[in-house]
Parts: sequence; C-alpha cells; structure tokens
Amino acid sequence: MIVEFGHYALVLALATSILQSLLPVIGAWRGERALMQSGTTAAIASFCLLALSFGALTYAHVTSDFSVVNVWENSHSMIPLLYKYSGVWGNHEGSMLLWLLILMFFSALVAVFGRNLPDTLRANVLGVQAWVATAFALFILLTSNPFARIIPAPGEGRDLNPVLQDVGLAIHPPLLYLGYVGFSVCFSFAVAALIDGRIDAAWARWVRPWTLAAWSFLTAGIAMGSYWAYYELGWGGWWFWDPVENASFMPWLAGTALLHSALVMEKREALKIWTVLLAILTFSLSLLGTFLVRSGVLTSVHAFATDPTRGVFILIILMLFIGGALSLFAFRAVRLKAGGLFAPISREGALVYNNLILTTATATVLTGTLYPLALEAMTGAKISVGPPFFNITFGLLMLPLLVAVPFGPLLAWKRGDLLGAAQRLFAAIGAGLIVAMGVFYARYGGPVMAAAGIGLGIYMIGGAVTDIVLRSGSGKLPLATAWARLKGLPRSSFGTALAHAGVGVTLIGIVAVTAYETETIVEMKPGMTAEAGGFTLRFDGMREGQGPNYTEEAAHFDILRGGVVVDDFWSSKRIYTARRMPTTEAGIRTFGFSQLYVSLGDPAPNGAMVIRIWWKPFILCIWLGTVLMMIGGAVSLSDRRLRVGVPKRAKAKLAMGAAE
Amino acid sequence: MLFWIVVSVLTAAVAVALLLPLMRAEAQTDIPQSHDVEVYRDQLAELQRDQANGLISGDEAEFAKAEVARRLLAANEAVKATAPVSGRRANRIAQAAVIVFLPLLGLCLYLATGRPDLPDAPLAMRLANPGEDINILIAKAEQHLVQNPEDGAGWDLLAPIYYREGRIEDAGAAYQNAIRILGPTPMRLAGYAESLIALSGGLITTEAQDALRQSLAMAPDDPRSEYYLALALKQQGKTEEARTAFEALVRSSPKDAPWLPLVNSHLAELGGDVAQNDKAPGNPTQADVAAAQAMDGADRNAMIEGMVSSLAEKLKQDPDNFEGWMRIIRSYAVLDRKADAAEALRQGLQAFPAGSEEGRSLLALASELGIDAGKDVK
Repeated sequence: MIVEFGHYALVLALATSILQSLLPVIGAWRGERALMQSGTTAAIASFCLLALSFGALTYAHVTSDFSVVNVWENSHSMIPLLYKYSGVWGNHEGSMLLWLLILMFFSALVAVFGRNLPDTLRANVLGVQAWVATAFALFILLTSNPFARIIPAPGEGRDLNPVLQDVGLAIHPPLLYLGYVGFSVCFSFAVAALIDGRIDAAWARWVRPWTLAAWSFLTAGIAMGSYWAYYELGWGGWWFWDPVENASFMPWLAGTALLHSALVMEKREALKIWTVLLAILTFSLSLLGTFLVRSGVLTSVHAFATDPTRGVFILIILMLFIGGALSLFAFRAVRLKAGGLFAPISREGALVYNNLILTTATATVLTGTLYPLALEAMTGAKISVGPPFFNITFGLLMLPLLVAVPFGPLLAWKRGDLLGAAQRLFAAIGAGLIVAMGVFYARYGGPVMAAAGIGLGIYMIGGAVTDIVLRSGSGKLPLATAWARLKGLPRSSFGTALAHAGVGVTLIGIVAVTAYETETIVEMKPGMTAEAGGFTLRFDGMREGQGPNYTEEAAHFDILRGGVVVDDFWSSKRIYTARRMPTTEAGIRTFGFSQLYVSLGDPAPNGAMVIRIWWKPFILCIWLGTVLMMIGGAVSLSDRRLRVGVPKRAKAKLAMGAAE
Repeated sequence: MLFWIVVSVLTAAVAVALLLPLMRAEAQTDIPQSHDVEVYRDQLAELQRDQANGLISGDEAEFAKAEVARRLLAANEAVKATAPVSGRRANRIAQAAVIVFLPLLGLCLYLATGRPDLPDAPLAMRLANPGEDINILIAKAEQHLVQNPEDGAGWDLLAPIYYREGRIEDAGAAYQNAIRILGPTPMRLAGYAESLIALSGGLITTEAQDALRQSLAMAPDDPRSEYYLALALKQQGKTEEARTAFEALVRSSPKDAPWLPLVNSHLAELGGDVAQNDKAPGNPTQADVAAAQAMDGADRNAMIEGMVSSLAEKLKQDPDNFEGWMRIIRSYAVLDRKADAAEALRQGLQAFPAGSEEGRSLLALASELGIDAGKDVK
C-alpha cells in the first residue's frame, strides 16, 4: 500500500503543480492577493507530497520490494544498507524523482523565505517554478514512472550498477542536483522580471544569495564527481572532458559569470539586463545537461537506459523553456530599465571582463560538446573532440582571466586605478615569480609552462591575501586598529578571498599533476619491486576475497622509503556476481597533497600481474581548491547583511553621467 | 479500503490547504516600490555601520549615501504615486478549480497508471510467507546456498528449476556444484550437458560431450545421452559415425518412442536408411523439421497445428493407417487438446477394433497419455 500511496502522492503533486503554475500568475496579472497567496501554499504542499512520494520509493528500495520494477532492476537484497538508500537515485527514474524533489524543495524555500519579495514577483517566481515542475512531473509519470509494478514479483533484484556501489553515489548526485536545479530559482526570477517588465531593488538584492547557494552546491557536486571518477574508474584521471562532465561544467561556468554579474547588480544596480539573460542561460545549460545525460544521446555511466521517447520528451521540455524564455527576453527586455554607468577600468569593468571570458569559455565547451553530436546527426560521421581541443582552447581562454582575478577586488567601484592596483599586488606578483623560478630551477629542463602555471597559482593565492590585508589597513594603521578592522570586515570579503585563493590552489594542483605525474606499467611477480615518486613498491602477492555481493582478487603492496616499510595497502579487482561486471578498486595512499595510485591489470601469461602505478604530485590540491571555493561561497552566503558598493568620486567635475 | 481512505484524506488535506488563502478576506496587495524603499533604507543603515567601523572614509560614505538617497527618494515618490490596489473579487472560479480539478486529475491519472490492487511486497515478508511464489522459493534457496555453498542437495533441487525458468547459466552452475559435492549421476550429468548445449545455442561442446560420455558410462541405455552424442558426431561432420550412432539409437528405442521422428529426420539428412517405416502420411519432411528447429514459441506451435490438421485430413480419407492414428493422438495430447485426442482415439478404434493388436496399442497409448477412451469402446 505504501508504494501505491507514493504513486498517488506523485500524481497529486503534479495536480498541485498545475494549479500552482496558473493561480499565482493569474493573481499577479489581475492584482488579486488571494490567488497569489495560494501559490505559496501550493508550493509547500507539492513539496510535501513529493517528499512523501520519494519516501515511499525509498521504502520500497530499503525493503527490497521487487514487485516495483525500479527496485527489481536496480537493487539486490544483499547489497549493504547504504546502497539500498542511495540506489533510490542510482537509476534513471529515481534520479528524475530526486531532480523534481529538489526543484520543489527550492520552490518551497522561495515560498517560505520570500516574504520580503514584492507579492507579484514572488507569485510569478512560484508560477514559473511550477511550470518547470509540471513539465518534469509529466515526464516522470508518462515516460519514466518509478512506481511501475511487476507481477509476479521476481525473487531477487538485478543489482545496482557496481560502479555506483560507492559512498560517492550517496553524495555526488544530491549535491549536483542541488546546484543544477538551484539555478532554476534564478531562471524563475529572471522570467518573472520579464513578465512584470520591471526589475526591483528587491529583485537585485535576492538573486545573488540564490545564485551563490546553487553555485556552491554545484561546485561541490562537480568536485565530488571528479574525485569519485578518479578513484573508482581506475584510470587515474580526474577530468576527461567527457560530454557528461561538460554538461555539468557549462552551467558552472555560466553560473560563475552570473554570480559576478549579480554582484554588480546588487551593489551598484548595473548590468541588470545582462544578469537576466545570464540567469536564463545558466538554467538553460542545466536543462541541456539533463537532456544530454538522461536522453541516452550519450553513453556513459550516467545514462542508465536509452529510450528514444524519453529523449524526445526532454527535448520538447528543453525547447519550450529555453525558447520560451529567450523569446520573452527578446520581447520584454526593452522594457527593463538599464542600470548605472561605470568606467571601463573599475570593479564593474573587471566583472564585465570576467563575464566576457566566462561566457566565451562556456560557448567553447558547448561547441566542443555538441559539435560531434550534431555532425553525427547530420552526416553520420563520428568524430571525437577530445582533451587536446579543450585543453588548448579552454586553457588559453582562462589564462587572461586568471591573471586578472586578483585585480578585481582591488579596483574601486565605478572608476578604478589599474596601476595602483598593480602596485598593491606587487607582493603577490613577486611571490608568484619567485616560486615559478624556484620550480623552474628545481626541475631544470622541465616544462617552462608548468613553472609559469604554478607561479600563477601562487600569485592568485597571494592576491587574495593582499586584498584582505589591504582592506584591514595592516601596515598603514596600528596593529590593534587593523585587527579591529579585520574583524569588522564583511564576511563576503572573506568569501571572495577564499574562493579566489581556491582557484589558485586548484590551478597549482592541475599544473603539477599534468606536468610532473609519472606513470609506470609493469608486470610484477610477488616479491618484485617498482619505483614511483621516490618510493619503492613491493608486490607481496594476491589474495581472494568475498564481499556481500561480489568476489575480489586483491593484491597487497608494501611501500618502502630508503629500505624501510612506511605503509602498505591493497589494490583489487572485483566481480559483482549479479551482473557479472568487473570493477577496479584502485589502491591509493596519500602523502601530503600527493598520492600514489595503483590499479591492477590482467594477469600476464607467465603468472605475473600487470600493474599500473601512478605518482600524482599535489593532486589533492585540485579538490582542496574546490573545497575552498565552496567554503568561500558558504561564508559569503552567511553574510546576510546588505552590501553597498561605495563608488569612487570622480576627480574634479568629470561627471560620468547619471548614476541611475 | 484503507488505501482509498488515506488517498481521500490526503486529497482533501491538499485541497483545504489550497482553498484557505482563497477564502480568506482579501488583503491589500502591496506596492512593489515599497520593497525598494525597504532595500534602500537597509543600504543607508549599512553605510552608516561601515562608516562607524572605519571601513570607509567619511568622504566616500557621504558620496555613497547621496547616491542611495537619490534612489530612495525616487522609490518613495513612486510609492506615493501608485494607488493601492484594493478590490476584493470573488475567487469562486479558482475555488471551484481546486475542488474539482485536484481529485479529478489525481484519480484519473492514478487509475490510468497505478495498481491500487497490488499490496506492498517487501522481501522479508515474502520470505517469511512464501506460499506458492516460485520466485521467492528460488530466492530462498539461493540465500540458503550463499550461506551453505556446500549443500549439494540444494543445488540438485535448484538446477532443474533454473532450467525450466530459463536461467540456463545458473542451471549449469547449479548442476556443476551438485556434481562436485554429491558426485555424478546420469541425471545430473545429462542436465549439466543440456545446460551447456542450450548456452552454446545448440552446439554440443567438448565439455558437454565429456559429461554425456560419463553419463552413458553409468547408464548405458540412456537415449538422451546417445542422441546428443550422435548429434555431436553429426555436427563435427563425421557422417558415417553419426549415422551408425543414430541407427543404434533407433534399434535400442521402443517402436513408439517420441524421439524417433527427430532421429529419423537426422538419419534422412545423413542419407541413411530411415529405420522406422515412413509410409505413414503426414510425417514431417526434412525441410519441415529444419524449419521447426529454426522457429520458436508461437511459430512452432502454429506449424505443428498445421501439420496435425493436414494429418487429420489424410486420416479421414485413408483411415487404415495405424501409425497415423498413433501420432495424431500423441500430438493432440501434447497440444493439450484432450477432446480432439479422445475423438481421434474413437475414430482410430473404428479402423482398428479394440480387440486387435493395433487397437490394444491405441488404448495403451491413450491410458498412458491420460485420455478417456469413452465407455462405448470398453
């Protein structure tokens, strides 16, 4: 009964969403407060209904109710309890239900925390959220119903995809969806403003926190996915420019741009129309990502099943929302009042520069991702746009942005002083140069670009520190005063510094791994040794093991340094019995920020094992940097006070034009 | 019943939640610009705090304050210029929409996609109370065998069930385990070999041949093993040896053995003498058998039906065909057409009276197949 009750709750959530997509919008249009209010209730009600529905599906998974097709296809009675829970979204139907749950969660948040928004704005935002929710609820019910039953019920499930049987599944999809779907709020805000034909100060004030929250989750989700792929797939790579990865990376790039333009809008009431467009584009890219991953256009671990009707359905949703929103923008944007003016060299100017580069980068990734698909659809020719394309184009695009990052926060609002900013950054620039030269000398003959890249990373961290130090007035003011000012600094300043330093840390990790990684492939018999990263690995032998739903062959290694055993670890290959699918469980040992990564190949004919050994210097910096970015986002989000950008007064009477 | 009560309560609760704001007395809609005023006031307060903390200098603060103040003034004027929208309109349509639409769409869509008749089936509950549930009996046996992988009797029991359920690979593994633990018997060996043959798509692999030979060594007259081994020879292209083997099988089989037509068709393909007389009309031709082997399921049934009816037609014209009556009775029994089988038996007994040798054979076959010959013939 619980399963069927969950099914009914899902249907009722759809009905409520349909009402929510009509009543408040009509209310806003006719100025009827009661209708607008009903949208608020509907948003909360539909979230509660979907939570019930999701709970029912979870119940079916946890109790291994194989009369539910979804459970039968994606679960097994013997898998550990954690995977019974996370298996709920480890499949197409369940993950779409999670997508919808999070969408309705955000709608409910807007309903609860949106009291300080103008009535009509809130009503329209909730209405637009409900349009998206209705489309996806229909998609789930008509093409991917997680509550479909099977009679007679099978006695055992077909097991969860072994690659997904990992803690990562419990963390990565919910975080990623919180990010993806979080941008729906920004989208709804933008469409609501277009419907209203007006951007209020309150609009400008409340878009940034939503963007920041979604962006922080997306950052965490992507980083988690990258780390998961790194340790689970056994190839030792952390980013493959795989279309599915790009699908999540594009909304992140656009979202980063949106975050910065929303900043300008909140503090200076400028870039309003551009922000509206960016908000639409960011969520459109999220939808595109959902389409690419869920339609089966791409084959990857994320495409659980391929079914053309699903692809067509999502494509229609995609065209409806992206096309609709962009058309609305084309017709209504002229009615929006443009914001304030500013000089090219100013904080606003720096943020525009950021936006230009980030949107270009997004377009590049989009082209690289879609071009092979489009070409195949048109001519049937299969080409692959691989890492070389992305590394060169994307890398070159990012370089000028990364150089400029430390300058941004140091420039004044409205009109700034580039030379002054450069002078204030001399310490950071110097530190970067010294480290770069140091790296170059230490690795003489090594790649020059690597040294430059690491120097750039150091310079970015230094720039972030410089910003905080200058704001507190250290050096100029007595220490006690500076300390007091430091404590009084808005938390958003620390957020900025942390996030920018995080980019630097990630950059260092990427450059170090790319340039100085070593890979060794050897055939080893027990007792043999191999060298990597200054350590000696000794292969001890194999052992067979048995898990709840798999059998494994594990190799044991000792790690020696200078002839002394410092550590030991296992690296194994598993066969999951239900699906007869092998997985690699790489052996990983961390030394500082670097890692030793060992994965097992096949046994060689002579009784030896093929073993791949990587030494990955500073690889943890890649994810550590993203953690810093995420913490920066959270710190900035916790700063609920309103910030005003203090403009720089023009010298003499050189008026730049009205500030409005 | 409980389900529908819960469903009604849930629907009613949601409807009430949506209706409440619609029924409340209409309050005034706020003026959007009033929120702008609020934001600008906050901004001014913030600037004052920053100035007090020494984060911005007095000069900068004054300039910024002037900028915000200009916006504040503009917003204030807009608020004054906007007449508050009051005006309570009836929301009857909206209320009706909620009351009608919510249960209607909910029920229609749910009844179209849901299965309200199906109870939950948590695995633990099914395991505790398996009843007739063959899947759960298998699963239970499987779980038992995961705990006690050396229980040979369990594997022995499970193997033929797997085979019947179409889980050939599991069947092979189960036979293998049973043989490993309990030792080989002709039944296990032949079952194992059949699983291997089914897995390889009908090809009799060396592994299967080994098992069959071992089985034959234990039970020398097992026609199943003999048949497959002969077929293996044929598949290897050893025509002569295959023919000899098939002929031996025919010799050792009873005259009415059900596998004889199949053996005969192989013999015919191999160019040997068809041992059993093939004068009976309606015997499947070589081509027919080959076609039947290529088909499966419904197609094959249709072909058998067709052959049976043509045989019935021939027997009507020429009832003096003992072989024909034997075959058609057996075919009807296989197709589960008991009434037709009884009718064929009755007609056959007219041509070959019950007292004759042939008549007794027909009756013996009928009783073996569980077909009621009727009182009149007794």
